[in-house]
Amino acid sequence: MSSSMTEWVNERAPVDPEVLKKFGSEPVPEHLKHWWWCLGGTPAYLFGVQAITGILLAFHYVPSADAAYESVVRINETVPFGWYIRSLHRWSSNFMIIAVVLHMLRVFFTGSYRKPRELNWFIGMGLLGVTLMFGFTGYSLIYEQLSYWGATVAGNITESVPLVGPSLANFIRGGGEVGSATLTRFFAFHIGVLPTLLIGLLLLHFTLIRLLGVTEFRFKKSAGSAKTFSFFPDHVLTEVLIGVTLMFLMTILAIVFPVGLAEKANPLVTPPHIKPEWYFYFTFRWLKLTSLTFAVLSLGLFGAVAAAWPLIDGAIRRRWKDSEASVWIGALVVLALLALTVWEAFVLHFSH
Amino acid sequence: MLLETKKVVVSILSLFFLGSLLIVAWIEGGKQRVTAAPDAIVTAENRDCVDCHLVKSPGIVGQWQESKHSKSGIGCLQCHGAGEHDIDAYEHEGAVIATIVSPKDCSACHEKEYKEFQASHHADAGKILGSLDNVLAEVVQGFTVFTADGEKVQPSAAAVSGCLQCHGSEIKVLENGKLDPATWPNTGMGRLNPDGSKGSCSACHVRHSFSRAQARLPENCGRCHMGPDHPQLEVFNESKHGIAFAANRERYAEAMKEKEWVPGRDFEQGPTCSTCHMSATKTLPLTHDVGARISWTLRPPVSEKIDAAALKQGRTAKSWEDRRRDMRLVCTSCHGPEWVENFYIQYDNLVNLYNDKFGRPATQLFKNARAAGLFSNDVNFDDEIEFTYFFLWHHEGRRARHGAAMMGPDYTQWHGLYEVAHRFYHEFVPQLEEVIEHNKRLGGDKARQAHQVEQQLHDVLNSEMHRWFLGEMSEGERAARKRAAEEFRKRYAQ
Repeated sequence: MSSSMTEWVNERAPVDPEVLKKFGSEPVPEHLKHWWWCLGGTPAYLFGVQAITGILLAFHYVPSADAAYESVVRINETVPFGWYIRSLHRWSSNFMIIAVVLHMLRVFFTGSYRKPRELNWFIGMGLLGVTLMFGFTGYSLIYEQLSYWGATVAGNITESVPLVGPSLANFIRGGGEVGSATLTRFFAFHIGVLPTLLIGLLLLHFTLIRLLGVTEFRFKKSAGSAKTFSFFPDHVLTEVLIGVTLMFLMTILAIVFPVGLAEKANPLVTPPHIKPEWYFYFTFRWLKLTSLTFAVLSLGLFGAVAAAWPLIDGAIRRRWKDSEASVWIGALVVLALLALTVWEAFVLHFSH
Repeated sequence: MLLETKKVVVSILSLFFLGSLLIVAWIEGGKQRVTAAPDAIVTAENRDCVDCHLVKSPGIVGQWQESKHSKSGIGCLQCHGAGEHDIDAYEHEGAVIATIVSPKDCSACHEKEYKEFQASHHADAGKILGSLDNVLAEVVQGFTVFTADGEKVQPSAAAVSGCLQCHGSEIKVLENGKLDPATWPNTGMGRLNPDGSKGSCSACHVRHSFSRAQARLPENCGRCHMGPDHPQLEVFNESKHGIAFAANRERYAEAMKEKEWVPGRDFEQGPTCSTCHMSATKTLPLTHDVGARISWTLRPPVSEKIDAAALKQGRTAKSWEDRRRDMRLVCTSCHGPEWVENFYIQYDNLVNLYNDKFGRPATQLFKNARAAGLFSNDVNFDDEIEFTYFFLWHHEGRRARHGAAMMGPDYTQWHGLYEVAHRFYHEFVPQLEEVIEHNKRLGGDKARQAHQVEQQLHDVLNSEMHRWFLGEMSEGERAARKRAAEEFRKRYAQ
């Protein structure tokens, strides 16, 4: 019976098993056995978790100022396993951002962005931006006090972008201030625009990896031809291992630290301390240290420089052959961003 | 890591993951779900009532299921059950019940609230049969039929559906234990019940859910305390208290269900009626005597302190100073003492202004003219001046005083003293003058008495507060007003 079923499928989807075998046994460079080289697949896996848990949440969420918060309460308290799905979704989002950042750091500090992989770096920066926007829009949908006021502050910051700021802010908010129109808009972004963008960019990202191959990385010890191991089952099993570990870890976090709910958004009451999610702490601290316009412009410049780094690094290395200035600059930037993040976290959580 | 090792590790981690999912399932199983009508306890004696009324009047059962009573097994017969000799008892499907559940019935469990309420002004709300309002409802607007012996045969529909729905009817029980439709349904605050008790707890605590949160809402009091003659609800909605409550009512919704909802502790702004007039505070206990913290009576033509009537009658009553002290304790939950002190100075000044400028003079002139027979003094409201005087103190006069009492400036001013002034100067005074002239033309005793009232009117209008009306403002004041008016015109280039 199973052979007749196989025959039925093969007649309608003629996939050559030899091609599959070849794909599965494709050699993967030996250095991918190191954990930090598997961080690329991790955010993709976590996106899958986000998509599944997000769809389940979307069955119950209502994107309206009158009902959003209450629908989240319902998910937490009434919908079977709603609290678990919601906690998974939240923890997974945090881990996805961490994984994307770690992956980018790995790519940066191993010089994997260099020729001919500059395009993939640009796509990667796009993926980072989309991931951060996922986090921002997702958190705003809850319509707690901090969601509302965080979105309000973000709108005000956007407004201060020269020339296009006010129009951009109005477009993002769906009006002059955060409200029902903002929620429907953010919901559309969160479940429609951003996933489409992410999948598109991921496809491009994977395609370029397939076309260009994974960066060769040889240590001085391993002279001679590079060792490899098979994609399936070896590398796949590594990714499965990471996936199961993450699921176990996130489930424990959901049990021990389930995601709660703060006060419902009240446009008439400004909370004493508005704060963004942790991955925007560094921008918040930078804002407080400088002025609004300077912070917006300087952070925009920082983003642009980061995105264009392969070109800048190329220029540096053309000028000073084999220069590893990028490593030192990158290390300084990472330390600075960490310092700003920790500073803001310390001020928020210990001073108030 | 070797491939085989990896497989083992994945298997172990998968087991751990499955184990964690079991913990999730265990937590889920233990979670309480919010469902409709969670834990109503239907005892054996109430089973038949609930089963039948679930079909016949499911709303009533649904209301009861929402109540705390139902969670404690307090059901139909605990409240509606009656003694066979009760005047309003009747047999219903094998049980002896009474339709009315009076405050005395509630006192079986709520004795403190019962006693406080019976002592309150609310409980006396039904005693309006001798008031002018009742004359309006039964005679002027309505039609009441009496027997030769003075027994009311046909009540005034205006009173039944109007006044008495708030003030409370006197329940009349018919032969079969059923209730006279002229007197019931009625949940008026001062309802006179067959068992002798006064009032109706469900006037505020809507049956059968008897929700605290609902009783604390301003709309609850506003069922009766609203309208042109006592617009407390409207004044509250205008005031900062009302605005603060409106802005926060969703946030407060859950907390208002709790036994205590203490200002300054459980919420920080937006008190409702019950907060100031009844609620427990950090220093005061809860009371169902709604007059316990009120220092003025704003009801009569001339306001007086709340204990004045009792003192005149030789009764003891909580002094107005003690009541004000208690109200101050509520205010200082959120306001500083100087704020409270200054508010009371402003409030007292407004009441005294109304009393001195309009209330007392108008009342004196009206009473004197009436006593002198300048207009009919045997029938109320057959002369226009009676309506005019009534409007002055009963409608806009009360609005002005209530506005000041509860910080609704528009009610103090435009709906209040502005209309009082207009009524007084352009209706009451001209009508009184007309009555005086008419009687002067009649000559004899009437003319003499008319002259006396005219002299009294002259004295009032020539007093310091009213002489502006005669163009007799002092030169100093006239000059000051002229300067102020010129500056105003310059400012707006008019």
